[in-house]
Amino acid sequence: MKLLVFHIGADRYGLRLRDVLRVLPLVELKQLPLAPDAVAGLMDLHGESVPVIDLCRASGLPSGEDHFDTRIIVADYVTPEGSHHQLGLRAERVLGVQEVRDDQLTDSGVQAAPFLGQVAGDAQGMLQLVELSQLLPPDLRALLFQTAAS
Amino acid sequence: MFKDLSIKKKLYFSFSAILAIILVLLSIAYNRFNSLSEANRWDRHTMDVIHAIDQLRNDLLQVQVEARGYYLTGDPRRLERARKEMNDLPGSIGELQKLTADNPNQVARFKKLDDKIRVWSEEIIESQLKLRQEMGDKPGAADAMGRTPQLSGSATSAIGEVYKSMNEAADEEKRLLAARIQASEQLQDTMRAVLTGGGVACVLLSLGVAWLLARALLAPLNNLTQAVHKIAAGDQSARAQVLSNDELGDVSTEFNRMAQAIQDSQAKELAATNLLRSKVDSLLGVVSKAAAGDLTGKIEVQGEDAIGRLAAGLDRMFANLRALLNNVQKAGIQVTTSATEIAASAKQQEATGIEQAQTSVEILSTTKEISANTSQLLKTMEEATAVADYTTSATADAQNNLKRMDSTMQHMVSATDSINAKLAALSEKASNINSVLITITKVADQTNILSLNAAIEAEKAGEAGRGFSVVATEIRRLADQTSVSTWDIEQMLKEMQSAVSASVMGMDKFSEEIRRSVGEVRQVTDQLSGVMDQVQKLAPQFDVVLQGMQSQAVGAEQISATMMQLNDATQQTVESLKATSEAVHQLQYAAGDLQTSVANFAVAV
Repeated sequence: MKLLVFHIGADRYGLRLRDVLRVLPLVELKQLPLAPDAVAGLMDLHGESVPVIDLCRASGLPSGEDHFDTRIIVADYVTPEGSHHQLGLRAERVLGVQEVRDDQLTDSGVQAAPFLGQVAGDAQGMLQLVELSQLLPPDLRALLFQTAAS
Repeated sequence: MFKDLSIKKKLYFSFSAILAIILVLLSIAYNRFNSLSEANRWDRHTMDVIHAIDQLRNDLLQVQVEARGYYLTGDPRRLERARKEMNDLPGSIGELQKLTADNPNQVARFKKLDDKIRVWSEEIIESQLKLRQEMGDKPGAADAMGRTPQLSGSATSAIGEVYKSMNEAADEEKRLLAARIQASEQLQDTMRAVLTGGGVACVLLSLGVAWLLARALLAPLNNLTQAVHKIAAGDQSARAQVLSNDELGDVSTEFNRMAQAIQDSQAKELAATNLLRSKVDSLLGVVSKAAAGDLTGKIEVQGEDAIGRLAAGLDRMFANLRALLNNVQKAGIQVTTSATEIAASAKQQEATGIEQAQTSVEILSTTKEISANTSQLLKTMEEATAVADYTTSATADAQNNLKRMDSTMQHMVSATDSINAKLAALSEKASNINSVLITITKVADQTNILSLNAAIEAEKAGEAGRGFSVVATEIRRLADQTSVSTWDIEQMLKEMQSAVSASVMGMDKFSEEIRRSVGEVRQVTDQLSGVMDQVQKLAPQFDVVLQGMQSQAVGAEQISATMMQLNDATQQTVESLKATSEAVHQLQYAAGDLQTSVANFAVAV
């Protein structure tokens, strides 16, 4: 299984490559006043407005400085109802694609954030899976994909 | 019946009975004594009669003796005495007759005796005497006389008759005496019997009366005493039994009434005492609380009696105490506040005083230093005079050197300007390189993203994209290397640019310094010329300064002494301020104590 590896804070996390549509450089985002803290803003993707989630803030950490390897990952978000949506994820220090075998993955045993799943260890330390389907809580999902929901 | 009499009557009755018996006895005894006295008088009378008979006999014998003496002697004196004795005889007989006038037998007998004696004296004695007178002093007359019948015994019967009747009379009298003595003894026996019987009766009656009186008096008294003992022992309901109708009966009745009254009054007194005790307990509770410091107690007792007035007085007193304690507490707080303020100001004063003292010490030391410096200055001035001469010559040399330096400086300014221009060109080139580097960085970044997306697409393509995936990874690695190299170049360029900027700034500053130095050197040259002129004028002024210095040294000494005094005074001030501060502290403590003492009293109602 291939993962797109990036950092949230000091630790490495991986997103399954099948969930990723593409990776974009950091662009200017339109701010969304009164939006929840985890929402970084709106992005114009070829004329389509895509909401962007700051993974650091979604994990309860402060948002980091903008670096040259800070990217926006455009992910294919599937709602429980089955509709597909494009969702931007602001991720820091996007390192690249890494192959992880299934036997390397083990359960973390701790379920603090709902979207953080199994962990795998390698020479550089531990890497934890980000479960895209669990990333948005229901109220935030309803907020972001209102047209689809209605 | 005896019970119903009053005690007075009982006493009168009893003692009058005894008195009556004694009076009867006395009258009987008086009567008997009179009889005895009468009997004694008769006894003595009888004895007198016997004595008179004896006297008569004696007289008769005397007559016979005197007559016979005359018969023998014929002495006329004897005759005279015989006659005289004979004349006494009728007197003695008359007396006898007078004594026995109450007894007719004796009177008759003495009449006969008188006749016989008269016969005897006339017939015998007178005849004999006449015979003897006739004989005269004849011898033998005496013998003749003796032979006369009258003397020879024939005629003795006459005198014997006389004696015989006299004895009869005496016997009669003795018989009478015996009879009278017997009567007298009878009288005495009767009287003894009467006295003994009367005395015994009197004693018996007295005993009986005493027993009756004692019984009548003691029984009610004992009854009363028992009742009194019971009451004294605490039995309030004990009463005396009324046994008689006399005064003691009245006393018992009155005593019962009195005991009832005492019982009633004691019951009333007990009730009053209980009420009083409850009031006093209530007051005592409030007062005890107050004694423990809690003045909030409320006095419930009211009334117009002494306790009520006491309660009202206590209430007023507590109110006054509360007000007083409130005032004391307020006053304590005010005192504490004031004491704290005083303490603060005293501390400030103390600090000020200490500062003053320190300042004066510093001034003192400074003054001493001034004094010392002044001395040193004196020496230095002397040296300065010598130095001034040397300075004059040295300044001239310096002027020449400065002029040379000025020209060198001019050269340096022009060289610096050319260096500056070259550095500016260098900086511009570096900026160009920087813009190129930015472009390279952007390209590398784009390449990086492209390779990432390519890797993602290749992965999504599955086995078909496997080879492309390797290429994409390689491209990405190259892009990363490019980014790193570009970043390195950028860093070096930035260092170079900053170095150039620093050089430019340094050169600017350097040339500025040089320009200023040139100006200063010129100024110094001018000043040196002025200094030379001034130095030459210095020598005479140094003398004036020297003198001033000396007087200054003296003044400094005086200032030093004055400062010493001032320092002492300041130390004293500080000491007294400390004492004041201590006193104020004590005042603070006292005020605090006062507050805590007063705070012990709860006054809020």
